Amino acid sequence: MKRTFAGISAVLMMSSVLAACGSGKSDNASSSGDAGASSSPAASSSASTSSGGNSGAKVTINLWSFTDEIPNMTVKYKETHPDANVEFKTTIIPTTDGAYQPALDQALAGGGKDAPDIYAAEAAFVLKYSQGDASDYAANYADLGLTDQMVQDAGIAQYSVDIGSKEGSLKALGYQATGGAFIYRRSIAKDVFGTDDPATIKNEVGPGWDKFFEAAAKLKAKGYGIVSGDGDIWHPIENSSDKGWIVDGKLHIDPKREQFLDLSKKLKDNGFHNDTQDWTEAWYADMSGTGKQPIFGFFGPAWLINYVMNGQVKDTNGDWAVTEPPTGFFWGGTWLLANKNVEKDDAKKQAVADFIKWVTLDTSDTGLQYFWANGTMKAGEPGTKDSVASSVVMQKSNGEVPLLGGQNMFDVFVPANANATGKNLTQYDETINQIWRAQVREYTAGNKSRDQAIADFKSQVKDQLGIDSE
Amino acid sequence: MRSKGVSYSKYGYIFCLPFILAFLVFSLYPTVYTAAIGFTDMKGVIPKSIHILDNPFQNFKDLIFDNPSFKTSLSNTFLLWIWNFIPQIVLALLLTAWFTNRRLKIRGQGAFKILLYMPNIITASSIAVLFSSLFAYPMGPINSLFEMMGWQPFDFLQDKTTTRGIVAFIQFWMWYGNTMIVLIAGVMGISPDLFESAQIDGANGTQTFFRITLPNLRTIMLFTLITSMIGGLQMFDIPQLITRNGGGPDNATLTTSVFIYQQAFRGSYMYNRAAAASMIMFVIAAVLSAIVFYLMRDRYAAKLKKQEKKIKKAARAAARGA
Amino acid sequence: MANIKTSSNVSRGFNKTVIYVVCIVLALLSIMPFLIMFVNATRSTPEIQSGLSLIPSVHLSTNWDVLVGKTFSPFKGLLNSFIVSAGATLCAIYFSSLTAYGLMAYNWKMRQPFFTFIMCVMMIPAQASSIGFYQFMYKLHWTNSFLPLILPAIAAPAVVFFMRQYLLATLSMEIVEAARIDGSGEYATFNRIILPMMMPALATQAIFIFVSTWNNLFLPLILLTDKSKYTLPIMVSLLRGDAYRTEFGSIYLGLSLTVLPLFVIYFLLSRYIIAGVALGGVKE
Repeated sequence: MKRTFAGISAVLMMSSVLAACGSGKSDNASSSGDAGASSSPAASSSASTSSGGNSGAKVTINLWSFTDEIPNMTVKYKETHPDANVEFKTTIIPTTDGAYQPALDQALAGGGKDAPDIYAAEAAFVLKYSQGDASDYAANYADLGLTDQMVQDAGIAQYSVDIGSKEGSLKALGYQATGGAFIYRRSIAKDVFGTDDPATIKNEVGPGWDKFFEAAAKLKAKGYGIVSGDGDIWHPIENSSDKGWIVDGKLHIDPKREQFLDLSKKLKDNGFHNDTQDWTEAWYADMSGTGKQPIFGFFGPAWLINYVMNGQVKDTNGDWAVTEPPTGFFWGGTWLLANKNVEKDDAKKQAVADFIKWVTLDTSDTGLQYFWANGTMKAGEPGTKDSVASSVVMQKSNGEVPLLGGQNMFDVFVPANANATGKNLTQYDETINQIWRAQVREYTAGNKSRDQAIADFKSQVKDQLGIDSE
Repeated sequence: MRSKGVSYSKYGYIFCLPFILAFLVFSLYPTVYTAAIGFTDMKGVIPKSIHILDNPFQNFKDLIFDNPSFKTSLSNTFLLWIWNFIPQIVLALLLTAWFTNRRLKIRGQGAFKILLYMPNIITASSIAVLFSSLFAYPMGPINSLFEMMGWQPFDFLQDKTTTRGIVAFIQFWMWYGNTMIVLIAGVMGISPDLFESAQIDGANGTQTFFRITLPNLRTIMLFTLITSMIGGLQMFDIPQLITRNGGGPDNATLTTSVFIYQQAFRGSYMYNRAAAASMIMFVIAAVLSAIVFYLMRDRYAAKLKKQEKKIKKAARAAARGA
Repeated sequence: MANIKTSSNVSRGFNKTVIYVVCIVLALLSIMPFLIMFVNATRSTPEIQSGLSLIPSVHLSTNWDVLVGKTFSPFKGLLNSFIVSAGATLCAIYFSSLTAYGLMAYNWKMRQPFFTFIMCVMMIPAQASSIGFYQFMYKLHWTNSFLPLILPAIAAPAVVFFMRQYLLATLSMEIVEAARIDGSGEYATFNRIILPMMMPALATQAIFIFVSTWNNLFLPLILLTDKSKYTLPIMVSLLRGDAYRTEFGSIYLGLSLTVLPLFVIYFLLSRYIIAGVALGGVKE
């Protein structure tokens, strides 16, 4: 019994997706409480007409998400739309234990009145819902009355549209934009390059990896590392490749991704980094300059600055600046999808469309993204500023943050979002990236040869995912 | 009288009935269902009709002949189990010997028994997080220690041997207290008369342990061995969580359970292969257990016979009494 | 003679020192993770991310606010967890002892095949039946109920095996006979005489089952989607929902809360393990 029980737990998850198959029973799955959404009951009961012009019964929208970020938005939505005749029933299931996708798949397959009407998907798995196996459940934005023209007018980053589109029809959009920048220490820039001006630094560290490594050598000469670990350059490399991991159903190693082996080795052999892994103590330490050698910079989107570095920079607060990276990329993000079935009920369709529009496409001062960009989600309380999907909103917002010494980060993130590409992704990326990065670390650690690492990578992908290499 | 003797045996059936019912509903049906999946083409997230494969044993064949990772997972599981079980049983026996030795009179043994079991209380995921930050590279408590000694920092979780060692150690450390408690409970079931007569005969602690305690613990030891073996085959949380990749570095801690999990959940959702692998695991567990039973059979069967004799004797006595 | 005795006393004293040192080191190793967990419950997320520490910080109340600021109540979770764990534990130990006694005390025809069968059941990896189990529960519409988390514990083959091994060593049929002569029914004999006799075994298994059910996350996570039914581990896992912005401080606080009731249960039950029960009296 003892270890038997221990083992039971995790593998039970496997059952969850299975349950989707055949059993048309999922009504119970989404019946979770509406405490989150009903926290402003006054607002919801005050109105008698919906914005769609329908009067009568209140529309209930089932909202599925993996954090409380979007559920919290519904509160703000009802504040700003007192006459919206809508109520949100939210279900939050974390992704960390692997339960969100299985449960969502099952609920989507089950249908019925408790099926999710709006659901969120993270960058790591959004492709499955927007283009992959589960994309048939998602409504086209156009069918909800959210036209391509609106997307253009809002200046939504192309990569975000590409990820959310299946064969030209848009199915998912985000509110955040996660285009990446190079975030560097001003004091080190002055010491090595004579200036901390983002425009100059941009041309010192890029474009292209050759210039980046020239800069790394200059930094090393003065005792600095250019990045914290090999994981830091992976996101830009991954995202600037010409093709994704899967081409015509076979594993494809893009030359630019293969180059990651050599670039990592170069970083390690020359001591250009502190050999950390992202999300570990040593990586965080480099944010406050307390690692082995001071580190010049990090690659990352606005959320890295505001949600991660914010708590870690300590004494180096204000000593940072952002500039465009040697190559465009994005990292992370959340997309919103609507269930196709909402089209069957006009009142619901309208309510769902209104909310999605407010979150993803509304560029006005009362749209979600304006609050999000300016950190004004809670009135009177300065919140976290984040870069948003709409460049129109960012251009009229104030992106000055103290961590960056008062620099307006949006000046960099608008072009950064435009340079990112969403065309080289597959729904297997999360797993394949992990296998690939592990093999690259094996190679750079000197545990195996370059050829062996590539061979093992191919064989593990085949064993784990059943995908042959080309 | 005879009729009464027969009527008792019906209680055997009655007392076992709840177990049988619960087993049929909650265990047998799901198991058969899973076994059936192993012969089908069931994979992917979206429900579609399921078919038996043209060659029903295709999934099994693929796993055994065409999947090096599966083979690696089998040998890893065995290795990690041996590395944690041997020290675990040795330490548990040693502690049991100390705590149940009347002459030693260890003070505070109540507190020790409680404390030593405590690692088993925390969830495995918390333990895994704790250990990966202990061995963090290049900065972490252990590597700071290394630096103080003037050594280079070492990336423990990038090295196959040290990672396996850490996983085996955690398993050992989480379960030795549990095993110890099982063994102590077993010793308490041994008649105190036996110990007393040993004492009177002048046996010392070591002699008592090997001549009295150990032989009488045999059935409980069999229990420990079997459950630990089955538990070892199902080792999942620690190898899955200690490295970022699950089963890393380079599959060094890929156990069969982690492998099965990856088949079912890592992107391709190959339930059929996961189910087939589960069935292979079942066969291995059954064969290993059968071997253990066979090896420990002699005394065990003798004991059973003795018990039966006793029952018969008691029945006769009852008959006579009435 | 005297010399030998002294030397054996000396060596025993030395041995005892070694024993105490080993036990104390092991005990310290056991306490460490709890200390770190409790200390982390008082630290902020950035502090936790910058490494381990044994010095408490000042963020306990912030962490507590985050914990209760979510849309669920930790106290409700505590209660739910307790219902599930206590229910499963009682089912498992009672019915397993009953089954084990049925196997040991009565000479029925199917006894040996049935025991072999239980042994086989024990070999079934949890993985093998889990896929079907969940689907079956959904077919029965048994989600958001505690029953599918409690009732399967009735068939716990490993516990039956342990109880049987224990009875094999301790059960004497004479005492059963004596009870029969006194006119006690079979079921009453089991409840009044056999169960108390098995106390150390019961307490041991009860602890193990309670702990593992209490810490079980994935089955409840999948079967319970109604917030009012969430168990404590589900609540803690909800705190980790966002990989990029995780509130580690409140997670550790949640973990600490989760572990405290286990301490209580363990201390209550460990009495039986430590003191033991005078079994000798009933032996032949």
